[in-house]
Amino acid sequence: MFRGIAKLALSAAIGLAALSAAHAQSDEKATLKLMSFGGEAQTTAIKHAIERFNKDYPNVTVELTMDPISTGWGDYVTRVLSQFNARNAADVYGTAIETFRTFESKKLFVPLDDYIAANPGYSDFAPSLFEQSSYQGKTYFIPIGWNNIMINYNRALFRDAGVDLPKDTVWNWDEFRDVAKKLTKRDAAGNATQFGYEVPSQFFFVQPWFFSNGTSILNKDWSGSNMLDPKVAESLQYLHDLIHVDKVSPIPGKETMDNQFMAGQVAMISRGHWIVQNAINAKLDMDVAIPPKKETDATVIGFGGYAVSRTSEHPELAKALISELTSFETQKEEGEGGGGVPGRKTAAETKAFLAFPPSAALYYKTLPNTIPVPSPANFQEVEKIFIRNYQAMMADEIPIAEGVKKTHEELEASFKRLASKG
Amino acid sequence: MTIFAANSPVATRAVADRPSELKRAQARAGYLFILPSFVLYLIFVLAPVIVTFLLSFTYYDPIEGATFVGLDNFRRFLTDDRSLQIFWNTLRFAFFAVSFNVGVGLALALALNRAMPSWLLYFFRLAFFLPVIIAAAFVSIVWSYFYGDELGVINYYLIQLGLTPVRWLTSSKTAMMSIIIMDVWKNTGFFMIIFIAALQGVPKTIMDAATMDGASYWRRFTKIILPWISPVIFFNIVYASIGALQVFESIVILTAGGPGDSTRSMSILIVEEAFGSFEIGYAASIAVVLTLVILLLTSLQLLGSRRWVSY
Repeated sequence: MFRGIAKLALSAAIGLAALSAAHAQSDEKATLKLMSFGGEAQTTAIKHAIERFNKDYPNVTVELTMDPISTGWGDYVTRVLSQFNARNAADVYGTAIETFRTFESKKLFVPLDDYIAANPGYSDFAPSLFEQSSYQGKTYFIPIGWNNIMINYNRALFRDAGVDLPKDTVWNWDEFRDVAKKLTKRDAAGNATQFGYEVPSQFFFVQPWFFSNGTSILNKDWSGSNMLDPKVAESLQYLHDLIHVDKVSPIPGKETMDNQFMAGQVAMISRGHWIVQNAINAKLDMDVAIPPKKETDATVIGFGGYAVSRTSEHPELAKALISELTSFETQKEEGEGGGGVPGRKTAAETKAFLAFPPSAALYYKTLPNTIPVPSPANFQEVEKIFIRNYQAMMADEIPIAEGVKKTHEELEASFKRLASKG
Repeated sequence: MTIFAANSPVATRAVADRPSELKRAQARAGYLFILPSFVLYLIFVLAPVIVTFLLSFTYYDPIEGATFVGLDNFRRFLTDDRSLQIFWNTLRFAFFAVSFNVGVGLALALALNRAMPSWLLYFFRLAFFLPVIIAAAFVSIVWSYFYGDELGVINYYLIQLGLTPVRWLTSSKTAMMSIIIMDVWKNTGFFMIIFIAALQGVPKTIMDAATMDGASYWRRFTKIILPWISPVIFFNIVYASIGALQVFESIVILTAGGPGDSTRSMSILIVEEAFGSFEIGYAASIAVVLTLVILLLTSLQLLGSRRWVSY
């Protein structure tokens, strides 16, 4: 009851704040360039946000460029750097945590601390998102949608195997292994026809297996390798054994197994909220669970954010545009359209957002236990080094001990090069 | 004072050697006609080559610009543990892909260069050429399903036949072979079409005469057909070699270079370094090395061709 009233009061306060912010129409004339990322749902939500922005700023033209990030963040970074190099940078950039440090270290964006302090509406965002958007004491990004990796599971396959649904309980690595074994089916010849789990093949998806063991592949400030921590090898050995000893997962290759999960050939996969829309389309009886713990139940988080270019001739207009892009309406539309959990908590509490998966409330519930994906300025190189060696270890091409050492040496060489560039 | 009289033999020759106004006008028109293509060549081919060469001696930051680093990039490539394996992968792929693409293309062309109903002939030609025109993105999805370890189509049939499933893409022992199979399936139709055109140029009179003289098919093939189409075989080998040494697409769509570095090619490394690690200068140095390797191998092929190509 009280919670309901509190929510109502908060929504009303945000509404009033929005109304008071909706000052008389500005007659300022300008063209703002906005470059962001995402699929159809994000594009539609952003276009609607621009329409609302233009009600207050009818003489401001917003030129939108969307990048689907179909080939990873490396190409996006190259594109942004080239735009700055050609003195053709956008005014506002939407990007993701994987690129934050790269852009911050090159001082491409303006600090937004004063703007954030002047906008009480941002108290609706989890403070941790702003903390993780900061670099050397300054905040350069206004967070938007985020994704934390959860265990997505096929409820029908759990019921068929007579396994209790994990729901919102915290399970440990051993329990997870047992469940994965029960969910793996084989034919008479012993070949798998259904896998209990997909050992992740992507950098972002695999991080919870290190975090839940109280470790990480990089040190705390992302300035060097932490691969020689015995816990890293322990996590890798666990994943390796799921494949080669328990045989509950295929060897991770280039392709992810999203399609096989949707087709009911894999019972559990590690993914973020972006998978929800595909599960709805595939009519998959899916739910989410907290990743299993070894030492902690921490999982990984990645999120997007908007920044104002330091070359922008209209920084105040750019900030006003960001206000609309991070408004309740935009966040609600993006969250309900799929692709990520809204940065605004109130937008993640709507009926439509909580409708599917059944445990959708877990996304926000686990937020305090999230650790950002290791994203140093040389992220693209770190990701490639790790994944190349990780896949070789998972494919049994090199022993874990050797792979860990090799990865460490390559990561250290990469950080050394980064340091030499200043 | 004139040295030679106007009608002296020297003066007459000088006038005769000088192009007429008409010829000069024609030459000007000719130069004007080739100017657009020359300018395009300059901008899109020559300039990037020169810029790549210059970049290979620099550390290039997209924001800060280029810093001259001498031979550091080349030294790094030549001393990196990964370079040798990636170089060897590229050569291995090129050798087998060229052999099979050209060999299978020739075999298919010979099989189709015979009397058969025209609809059947066109059907076969289309069937073998179709993979060439299908976008690699679509091909990759199909072949990924074929090559799946346990849920894949090929392994499904191997298991049905009581055979051991193969780790097509997840083992360093088989991944390169799997890529070569797909590459040959995708590209051999192109070489087949060129060979068919060449085979249709073999004079029927010579073939008929040889047949009447009692020459077997093998003898006609080795003594007439092969020498006749040898320039085309040579062209196909050179063309396929240059393409294979730059292999990118076939590997990226199936393994992305993995597992580990077991299928990574030099072109993939160039792209990863340039657009993944933003090591533009280092990537340029690898591109220069790759260009030199291609030049060297093509020169060796040209030299070797004198022994077996009949012009």
